[in-house]
Amino acid sequence: MRVRYPAALTFCAAAVLSAFADQTATLDHIQKLELAGDSAGAREAFQRALKTSPEDAELLGGYAALLERYRNPGAREEYRRAAVRWQATGQSQKAQAEARRAILLDLIDGDRDAARKDLAAYREYGGTGVTIPAPAAAAERPSEVVYIPGPMRSFARMAAISPDADPATVLPALARNVVTNGYQASRSNDELEETEYLKLVHRYVSQAWELDQLAGPDKVIKVPACESTQTNDLLRVLGYRMRGGCGSEVVLETVNASRAFLTTDSGFPLAELEQALRTDKPFSYDYHPTAVPVLYSAAYWVGAKEKNSFLDAFLGDPALCRFYLGMSKLDPETAAAMKQHTPALKLRSYASVLDFFGGNFEIRDGKAVIPGGERSAAMWGELVGVSPDKGADFFEKLLIRDDGWLASLYDALSRIQGPVQDYLTQPAHMKRFYEAVRGKITTPGPARPVFRSNADMMLLTTRLRLEPDGKPHIPGGLDVWKQVFIHNPHNRYDQKLSKAAPGWKDGDDVIEALFALCRKPVDNEPLKMFMALSDIDRNREKPLEPATVERLTSVWNTYSAQYTMFNDAPGVSDKTILAWLDAAENLDRIKDNLLRQDAIGEMQGLTGLWQIFCRQGSIPAANADQALASLVAPFATLKSNRELFDAGRSGLNLLATSAGAASGPMQDRMLNLIAGGAHLQPSDARSSLIEQEQRIFEAQKLLTPDLIFELADNLERVSKGEKLNAKLAARMAARVTDIQLPRNSMSGTEKNSMAFGFWVDKHIEEERKVNFRALIDKAGKDPEKLKDIRGLLAPSLRDTIVGYNYLHYAPPGAEILITNPLFVRGHDFIGMSGANHSWRNTELYGSGWPSNAGGRLVGSLAGLPYALAEAEQNFLVPTQTQALIWGDLVPQMLLTATAPRFWSVAPEQVHWVGMHMRNGESLLAEASVDEAARSKVFAAINRAASPYRASAVISDLKTGDVKQALDQLTPSELYSISISLAPTDDCPIAKEIDRYRKAAPSLVSDEAISRTWGTPKPTLANSYAPELLNLRTFPTLMGYSSRIMAESWESNQLYWADLADETGVRPEELNVLVPQWTEKVVERIFASHLEDWPALLKSLRSVGDDVRNSAGKPDSTERAGSEE
Amino acid sequence: MRRISLQFCLRALGGTALVLSLGAGIWLYAQEASTPVFKSKVDLVVLSFTVTDNKGKYVNGLKPGDFKVYEDGIPEKLSTFSEGDRPAMQILEDGSMRPLLPTAPEAMRVAAKSSESNDAFVGTNVFILFDTSNFMYRGFVYAEDAIADFVRGLDKADSVAVYTFSRNLSRASTLTSDRSNAIVGLRKAVAGDDTALYNGLLLTLRDAAKVPGRKVVIVFSNGPDNASMVAPDDVRAVAEDEGIPIYVISTNDVNKDPISSSVFRRISQRTGGKAYWAKTWQKQVEAFESIREDLGNSYTVTYYPAPNPNEGFRRIDIQIVSDTGKHYRVRSRPGYRPRAF
Repeated sequence: MRVRYPAALTFCAAAVLSAFADQTATLDHIQKLELAGDSAGAREAFQRALKTSPEDAELLGGYAALLERYRNPGAREEYRRAAVRWQATGQSQKAQAEARRAILLDLIDGDRDAARKDLAAYREYGGTGVTIPAPAAAAERPSEVVYIPGPMRSFARMAAISPDADPATVLPALARNVVTNGYQASRSNDELEETEYLKLVHRYVSQAWELDQLAGPDKVIKVPACESTQTNDLLRVLGYRMRGGCGSEVVLETVNASRAFLTTDSGFPLAELEQALRTDKPFSYDYHPTAVPVLYSAAYWVGAKEKNSFLDAFLGDPALCRFYLGMSKLDPETAAAMKQHTPALKLRSYASVLDFFGGNFEIRDGKAVIPGGERSAAMWGELVGVSPDKGADFFEKLLIRDDGWLASLYDALSRIQGPVQDYLTQPAHMKRFYEAVRGKITTPGPARPVFRSNADMMLLTTRLRLEPDGKPHIPGGLDVWKQVFIHNPHNRYDQKLSKAAPGWKDGDDVIEALFALCRKPVDNEPLKMFMALSDIDRNREKPLEPATVERLTSVWNTYSAQYTMFNDAPGVSDKTILAWLDAAENLDRIKDNLLRQDAIGEMQGLTGLWQIFCRQGSIPAANADQALASLVAPFATLKSNRELFDAGRSGLNLLATSAGAASGPMQDRMLNLIAGGAHLQPSDARSSLIEQEQRIFEAQKLLTPDLIFELADNLERVSKGEKLNAKLAARMAARVTDIQLPRNSMSGTEKNSMAFGFWVDKHIEEERKVNFRALIDKAGKDPEKLKDIRGLLAPSLRDTIVGYNYLHYAPPGAEILITNPLFVRGHDFIGMSGANHSWRNTELYGSGWPSNAGGRLVGSLAGLPYALAEAEQNFLVPTQTQALIWGDLVPQMLLTATAPRFWSVAPEQVHWVGMHMRNGESLLAEASVDEAARSKVFAAINRAASPYRASAVISDLKTGDVKQALDQLTPSELYSISISLAPTDDCPIAKEIDRYRKAAPSLVSDEAISRTWGTPKPTLANSYAPELLNLRTFPTLMGYSSRIMAESWESNQLYWADLADETGVRPEELNVLVPQWTEKVVERIFASHLEDWPALLKSLRSVGDDVRNSAGKPDSTERAGSEE
Repeated sequence: MRRISLQFCLRALGGTALVLSLGAGIWLYAQEASTPVFKSKVDLVVLSFTVTDNKGKYVNGLKPGDFKVYEDGIPEKLSTFSEGDRPAMQILEDGSMRPLLPTAPEAMRVAAKSSESNDAFVGTNVFILFDTSNFMYRGFVYAEDAIADFVRGLDKADSVAVYTFSRNLSRASTLTSDRSNAIVGLRKAVAGDDTALYNGLLLTLRDAAKVPGRKVVIVFSNGPDNASMVAPDDVRAVAEDEGIPIYVISTNDVNKDPISSSVFRRISQRTGGKAYWAKTWQKQVEAFESIREDLGNSYTVTYYPAPNPNEGFRRIDIQIVSDTGKHYRVRSRPGYRPRAF
């Protein structure tokens, strides 16, 4: 039966349906715009739609969600409007949802008042389950303070602490500086003596107390007039006197150099004092002492008698500083439990273990939180001697157990999660591995040196790879590793392990041996081999063959630095890897040093370019193997300069063709490829990169391959009777003769050191003295001799090929490359005579010798990106005086800004990071206001951050300080929290994330995002290919491994992605902007110590704020229909 | 992001063609009638030099017509001329001079940004580079006093910037005509560790090169350098190319390292500056006086180089036409390399 509707109703329904259809189409259109990266277009479309339907709640809510996704401050207001509209149409649940978003955003912005108002509205709409926690009561904050005389900035300058440091971090930072920089071994006896740093701090404090006395009870230093007793008193303490009588000519000059040094070095306003004296005006200077919080109480540390002279006692006792530092790393709950259970004196005795490994101690509800959880609890109890149920007792015994070996294992296992942690904490494994690493003689333990020495163990536990069946991946199989240990070169490994190796039965035996070697103070070669080969296998479809692994391990000492190449293109076959080794070994057999260095340089230059093109996708993965095989083939039999020239020429052609640049001048093709690829759309970013490449190419006075090839072709024709093209030869000569050889007025030390440069100078000299006319005359009519002449172009071609590598990795500024015209030509592929540097990692030599040709790079090109960044770091100009530029972190940050490129990044991948950052913020805010949401969020925070910081973040969330909580998390932690809590609820961001996952699954997969926004980790992951490992930041480690600490910082790229998303920067623009932003970040870092990550975070955010401001901060009042 | 390109259009404006040189930031009167739009690579050469007689006394009062400037033997046509701290004058076709036009808005913007002064073409822009590394530890405060004295004694027309360096450079006080600001910056210097003198000098020269007008760099250091990546001669080449004389003030301590002292001598001489050694930092009065005299008695000319195929080092030769007896000695940089980009 048909139902007939009244006409009016039909019309209304049609109108509603039509409106609904229109709205759906609008929303679809907007979504498409956003998906294509046009967030501004999406916003405008919303605004247009809302102009027509200003009261449409759906549109208002959608608009608010869009603004929220791009961190637009107008989002809160739009949510409120949407809530009102939903409520007006009777849909109170939707109104509650919108009001709830407004509350969350209020808290994220730190606007507690607005949150309260929005909460009232939320409740008015019938919402429940949301509470804004009360702020932290004053009593909950540390109340005891100690006083440091004078202003904080002066003390901070003298004590090498960032003046911006949070007061609560001043004493831990001071303690760290005293421990690491305050004492040195005495020359005359076994005792430690103070360093100049600590002596100056002491002297400063003493002078500051004198000034404090002068400041009187008001704590203000006052000089009423030039001619006054106060003037004399003050100048005496400061170490200055007046030259000339009072009046406009008065000048302050040093009378006591040591006092004057403290005055000026601590930043006393001397110029202002001088000006006041000149003008006979009163001078006053606030000299209130600085109160800094002390953990627990001063008496706890120095006893009741000395608590009033806490600072002096603290500075004079490195053991006390170490103890303080160790306790300051514990989260409050753990610290309170340990403090209550163990006497201070006992804890102090094990301060070094506490300092290095205590940061991951965690006591919750009286029980120790242990890696491996319940399953491993009994084993932990057995190893420590106390059950983890007795938390404080457990950690006390862990501290005193075995000079720190078990504590270091605990620390390493606490830092990892997932299947590897499951494997390593299986009770049987744990016992075996612990006993292996501890050995029989436990002293010296890993906490004895100034920096912790368990770097190898952290590397092993962090990077161990498991097979799908949960067993460890052993590259090449067990037999290979048996042989490695049996043949134990130079008896460098443990003899017992060599004896045991033939009896090994499975991979666990290998892992146990590797743990055993982690305790050795010497270079842990097998572990490095194991990690490097595991990393190569990690991305391969088929693991390396045993024969290949065997060969790679057998020549490890010589060629290991080059293995990163095989990691950047996982499609390389075993055959090609072996062919590469054959070619390298052939080059090493060349006796002529000049030819050998040119051949090695050229092959490394060509394979370096191949690596770059593979990484950026210019050479398709399917062609990578064939390209490399063809590239190295000529080098396997190479014996002469002529062959070298031909190999270079064919190599460049092959690379260009493989990378899709088949025609045009070779120079243009290569510059285009180095700047991202052959077929990219023209853009300002691309032009800017190419311009920079050309500038460096010119500064280095390199010859274009086209000129070299043209001359070679001419020489070929000469052998057939044609005349030499004198113009071409002259062009080349003009270019080369402009290159100056380094001056030779060197000191004895320099001459010895410059032994490195002998073959470099010869190389340049050979290029300069080439005279084609004379050579042709000499060759007469012998066609072979005439053909050989083109071999003399090989050194120049080598420089050009090597130079292309330099161009690609040029750090921001590139001062050295612009200024030193010999930098590329001066690359020393041979190094010191007797030591084979040719295949080793790139190193920096020769800085600081006034009469040499400047610093130069020695070794292979394997570590070129890092070495270039290292060379450039001292050209950065810190914005703050005394800023601590980190030796290892800064080069790593610079290479992270230059090695990865963003040409193939899709807008979806930029927005993906932005959305996850917003989602992370939203999750934290939810956890703050909704107790039901807390457990999973807090668990995610605990996984991402150390117990101390996780505890601080959680504490802030519990008191509603969401903004403060967010400020403490790094971008990588926030991203990791969002990713780990795969958004499933119906909040707008979660829905949007889900939509992207479905719309572009291949672009936003974990692997794709890791490749796009990860960082290169040449030490940690043996690859320059960007990768996100979601690591907790590492501490400072001994030796080479301090680079590992730098590589564990993964936040920069994620932060830039988020910033680009927010400010509408196109992905290709990041190729230019990221290096510039990174340079600014480095220049603004003002850190107190090597692990001062908050200082780096602060600098990162400061640059981000500048970018936002210069991009035009989104107008918070901008809203739909505002024109009306 | 705005970038200033060295290549730009020369455009006829309102019947009177004006040539805008962003490189030098100077507005000149038109030399020719209206000209169609064309592109030109601007490479204004700024050349400062002193003239002394056979007794070493400064020769003052020479006019543009008294000089001939050659590049690789090619005569150059001078555009501007100034003596000491007097304002620069434009040299007209007939050899007469007239004051430069007031700075145009764009040039003013550039000048203001770089020098905080609207009058960038009067006086000298003095860049002081103070070594605060470990090698200066003992003399740090005395050197600081000495530099403060030097800053106070500069001509009123001069602007001064104070940079410090140890491993990195620090811009303690950017270019300012306010002496007290410079001294406040100086007094905020902090002692550092390693000595990267030539890195610091290079960055100072790069900053100085961006500033229009005459500029010098004065280095207060005892050396030796132990951390620079660039060689002194590469830095010297930059100073030559940019026409920035380098003066070095040291104490006798520097002679403990003969390489440093010979390098100091070489880079200062080759750039048209001087190197001074005193027994202590407190006894640098003579050096200061000499530098001030140099600044007050030097001539500065500018010119656009005549066509020259030489893309390498171009040798500059200054001849004094009126000095028929060849009694005068000219001290200047020996030449420069034109910029490729």
